[in-house]
Amino acid sequence: MQDPKDTFLWRNRVALVGGAALLLAAHMLSSGVKQGDTLARPQGLVAEALRPFQVASARMAQSAGDIFHHYFMLVHVGRENQRLKEEIAQLNQRQARMVELELENHRLAELLDLKEALDLKVVAADVIGADATGAARTLILGQGSGAGLQPGMGVIATGGVVGKLISTSRNASRVMLLSDHNCAIDAFVQRSRARGIVTGVADDGVIMKYVERTEDIKTGDAVVTSGLDGVFPRGLLIGSVGAIERQGPGLFLNVAIQPAANLRKLEQVLVIVQTPPHLSDSGAS
Amino acid sequence: MLFAVATVVALWLQTEVRLWLPAGALFPDLVLILVVDLGLKQHNALSAVLAFAMGYATDACSGTHLGLNAFMMTLIFLLSYELSRHVWVTGKVIGPLAVALADLLRTLGVMAITGGIATVSAITGPHMRLIAIQALITAAVAPAIFSLLDAGKRALRLPVRVAAE
Repeated sequence: MQDPKDTFLWRNRVALVGGAALLLAAHMLSSGVKQGDTLARPQGLVAEALRPFQVASARMAQSAGDIFHHYFMLVHVGRENQRLKEEIAQLNQRQARMVELELENHRLAELLDLKEALDLKVVAADVIGADATGAARTLILGQGSGAGLQPGMGVIATGGVVGKLISTSRNASRVMLLSDHNCAIDAFVQRSRARGIVTGVADDGVIMKYVERTEDIKTGDAVVTSGLDGVFPRGLLIGSVGAIERQGPGLFLNVAIQPAANLRKLEQVLVIVQTPPHLSDSGAS
Repeated sequence: MLFAVATVVALWLQTEVRLWLPAGALFPDLVLILVVDLGLKQHNALSAVLAFAMGYATDACSGTHLGLNAFMMTLIFLLSYELSRHVWVTGKVIGPLAVALADLLRTLGVMAITGGIATVSAITGPHMRLIAIQALITAAVAPAIFSLLDAGKRALRLPVRVAAE
């Protein structure tokens, strides 16, 4: 009788199981698994498992960053006032926390002002993590479906538009930044009403695509949301026009955008959970 | 269990450290190193499932397409596994070299799948240099991670290397 370990299936079990896993992953990719699908559910568990560590370390890193920052301030002062160094160090250490509280207060006040000015139903969320591989431009937020967040919702900060939510678990969610090449936001130039799609490019820039060559567009022009994508209300600031490339044979202009929100230094954001109809209908602010 | 804990720690480090690093700073892909270790040293069916699970877990914290990292990590596991069947992998160089190649493959593969082949062909020189440096950084960290994993396996009385046959 043939030894079971001498069969084709047993000898190639690693490759066969690996191949099956590869097919499953390819199926998930090609079918575009949606939030709530059976295959997407365990993803929430992973996000939830990581969240407590991320929240704790985000807080610790914030405090450490303040101490680090103020240490350099101390060195600078110490060069001028050597004999006061120790005293200043103690004061700075104490002050660091107060400055941070003040900054946080200021940021929250700005968010509150923005929330009131926009008259939108929004949920504030802390940024607790970055994209794990850096291959995509995403951030992890410390609020999830428990706070009413759903994939597809728009995310803004005090500067302007940040991106869209792509997945949520109970207490965490992920936002795709507008600098990601898969993000697309319908927008127009506020001055000339030239329309286009704002998206990211592979090397971390933001561009406005599909702007016709005949359009009147200048460096420094404000670019705002059009409200036509059903995600953002009309008139939210995305950024300003940077370089404009008019050379080449194409039908469209290459327009670089300087995002209004500092996408590299986000700590708190607002998620738009409901867009009132009157904002979508009104003109640009 | 060792790899599950290692994956959670790796993902936590990757999501947190990247958040606080200066703009444009590179950070090694620790999960990728774990997958290459699995492919080179752990030749059993469970390892293939683990590689898929590690990619799936990465999908929860990275990328915009569910299944993308699961696909790339499983592919890298299979390639590492095949490599280890045809090449003598006990040397000090082959592991980091496999990690560097795997990092390049993952980055370019992710770009090709999400943005199309045109995205890869449009990569500029400086961007390609960044991708290469990222691969080198991951490869440079790999020996330390391999050693940590081996130490973890020994501490748990697990075999450091599991042959298929």
